Amino acid sequence: MLTVQFLLLGAVLFCIGVYGVLARKNAVMVLMSIELILNSVNLNLLAFSSRLGSIDGNTFALYVIAVAAAEVGVGLAMVLLIYRNRRTIALDELSDMKG
Amino acid sequence: MELVVFVIAAAMVIVGALGVILRPNPVHAALSLVLTLFGVAVHFVALEAHFLAAVQVIVYAGAIVVLFLFVIMLLGVDRTEDISIEPFKVQRPMALVVGVGVIGLVTAAVSSSRDAIGRGNGLEIPTVTGDNDSNVRQIARSVFGDYVVAFELTSVLLVVAVVGTVMLTRRIKTGKGES
Amino acid sequence: MLASILAQVPWQAPSIDYHAIAPEIVLAAGIVLIILVDLFVGESKKWVTASLTGFVLLGALIPVLTLAVSDPDARSLFDGRYVIDEYALTLKALFLIAGYVVVLLSQNHVEEGDYYQGEYYTLLLTSLTGMVMMASSRDLVSIFVALEFLSIPAYMLAAWRKRDRKSNEAGVKYYLLGVFASAVMLYGMSLLYGVTGSTLLSEIGRQITVDGDFGGVHALAIVFVVVGFAFKVSAVPFHTWAPDTYEGAPTPVTAFLSVASKAAGFVALVTILYVGVPQAKDVWQPFLWVLAALTMTVGNLLALRQSNIVRMLAYSSISQGGFILMPLAVAGTGDAAGPALQAVVVYLLVYAAMNLGMFAVVIAAARTTRSGEISSFGGLFSYAPGLGVLMTIFLASLAGIPPLGGWIAKFAAFRAVLEAGNGWAYGIAVIGAVNSVIAFGYYGNVMREVWMKPAPNGETRAVATPTSLVAALTITGAATLLLGVLPGTVLRFGDLADLVGAFGR
Repeated sequence: MLTVQFLLLGAVLFCIGVYGVLARKNAVMVLMSIELILNSVNLNLLAFSSRLGSIDGNTFALYVIAVAAAEVGVGLAMVLLIYRNRRTIALDELSDMKG
Repeated sequence: MELVVFVIAAAMVIVGALGVILRPNPVHAALSLVLTLFGVAVHFVALEAHFLAAVQVIVYAGAIVVLFLFVIMLLGVDRTEDISIEPFKVQRPMALVVGVGVIGLVTAAVSSSRDAIGRGNGLEIPTVTGDNDSNVRQIARSVFGDYVVAFELTSVLLVVAVVGTVMLTRRIKTGKGES
Repeated sequence: MLASILAQVPWQAPSIDYHAIAPEIVLAAGIVLIILVDLFVGESKKWVTASLTGFVLLGALIPVLTLAVSDPDARSLFDGRYVIDEYALTLKALFLIAGYVVVLLSQNHVEEGDYYQGEYYTLLLTSLTGMVMMASSRDLVSIFVALEFLSIPAYMLAAWRKRDRKSNEAGVKYYLLGVFASAVMLYGMSLLYGVTGSTLLSEIGRQITVDGDFGGVHALAIVFVVVGFAFKVSAVPFHTWAPDTYEGAPTPVTAFLSVASKAAGFVALVTILYVGVPQAKDVWQPFLWVLAALTMTVGNLLALRQSNIVRMLAYSSISQGGFILMPLAVAGTGDAAGPALQAVVVYLLVYAAMNLGMFAVVIAAARTTRSGEISSFGGLFSYAPGLGVLMTIFLASLAGIPPLGGWIAKFAAFRAVLEAGNGWAYGIAVIGAVNSVIAFGYYGNVMREVWMKPAPNGETRAVATPTSLVAALTITGAATLLLGVLPGTVLRFGDLADLVGAFGR
């Protein structure tokens, strides 16, 4: 089994996602980076599920996908909302409140 | 054979992921995301998670990426994010440090616990029965058995997410000036 | 065809104790009912949805009470994935009552905004359902689903004032950081599942032992999970979303987020730490120690500088979160575990009463002043003595002055810390004590405005407080006073100490 290799791939994907969340300033791109992290989670879950011979990991991943779909819908709605009010989706321009 | 599939799919995943975070054009980034998601789906097949591989392609690569593309197009494709003009001077190197740091940490942790991960904790529950449907059946039994409360509530969550999304994006009819 | 396939599958439907999940069923039915009712009532009758939400919350409280009196043993569903014990019931009652108070706070505020009342209450009720579920969840999948269930509607509530740029900004910041935090937490959970082979917390607790092979992955998994929840409970340095979100969101939503949402984060954190990984306390205790010390200090120091009352309350709520983390940081296992758990639950109860009360006063007073600046509360006592006195009570309670509820909460927290009795415990107790004193600074500042300063602009018209706000003020004020005067009522939850042993069943 390649469990350890899968974990390392998951780790790489996770870190690329974390970098994307921190470095990109376009809200849609940040959402995509979060999707990368969620995929690394699913990869981990299924690698472990197959390794352990337990189905729980599969079920967990299914819930992650279902909830992620709801999250993305809500997130994109919010992006549209700020775009309508501000004509931009750059996160660094979200600075009405400070302190 | 297993290794060959793994290497090819892993290359797809990583190239796609790098595309997502480095491409200045959001449309290209979304297409790179598709590459990653397909690579992950290939891994799922290799891990004998047939049902989730299908879900991954249909829900993620299908619905979610289309949603992303839809919003990107709605906001205008020409608004590419210029990564050479960086407003937060600190943020990008900081992100790089965090990313590399985390990857080092996780890699070290995983390699040091190689035994614990490889052993399987003596909880062996035989799953592979040679039956092609076994993965789907087991998921069904698990979802409608132990995790049924979470399942039912997820359905409510999806309905409420739709209600909330419509509320947020709908234009107001009373004519109070939101164009 | 289908029948023949089904016949091959040996399938046993799970036996479900419907009494045990009755609160969740009532709430889920209520969500659907309100969506439907909202479709069919006219614009002028939208207040019906508010009343219905109140009734649904009180209706869900009934099965919680019957469960509390019905039998003393904990009920356990799905092999211990969903547990109804005294801990779960206490917190379910807390969430439902806090939710009811938030509905009372919202009623006028929401009616004055001109749109989407039905959706507002649907989202509020959904978020509460997630919290009620969280109190019983004892496995990673349920905790994750409950967390998202309570967070996703909360993101939308924060952005609810669609045309207000600040509200948008609040929603987007809360959303992005919240989603990022839950992704990080999920990564930790996936590792935790992998190294223990189970999603069930009690099984994880059995697998993770100190003397077994406890490796880097175990530690990393726990740290990631704690970081995820640190975002949820806005512990420093993961607090950056909180002040902006609290300031930008509609004020009743801020009250809801700062009390209920935060409490749910603590509930999940406590459940995972106590049931799942109590043996790994060498990993999470130092981490929580640092978080608690930073949260108390930074929250307090930044609160001192604020001129907007909601922003000040945001930082004050961050710093109060540090006091809740404090007993966990030193007293996770061993003799001090019981008092620590008790201190957390008592603190959550008292904090909910006094913070909701504080927001109720702010909402009521803002009806006249139309401002969130602290200076606008000048002379509040002279023209609205009732509100002035109540505000003083809540401020004093937040500051921890006896004989109010906040004093009992702080007392329980410090007692739990001192019971641990080692150097680390004394260290954090000193930091906590210093911070309690600093907190007088900004709470006292508001009191000075209320009692000594003249009203700005000579505004002396009496505030007309609507009935729903009066009800909210009565409930929270009575709770704050009673919890302080009769500490026995809360310290009765000392029985919770027994839970630590029974928790993992």
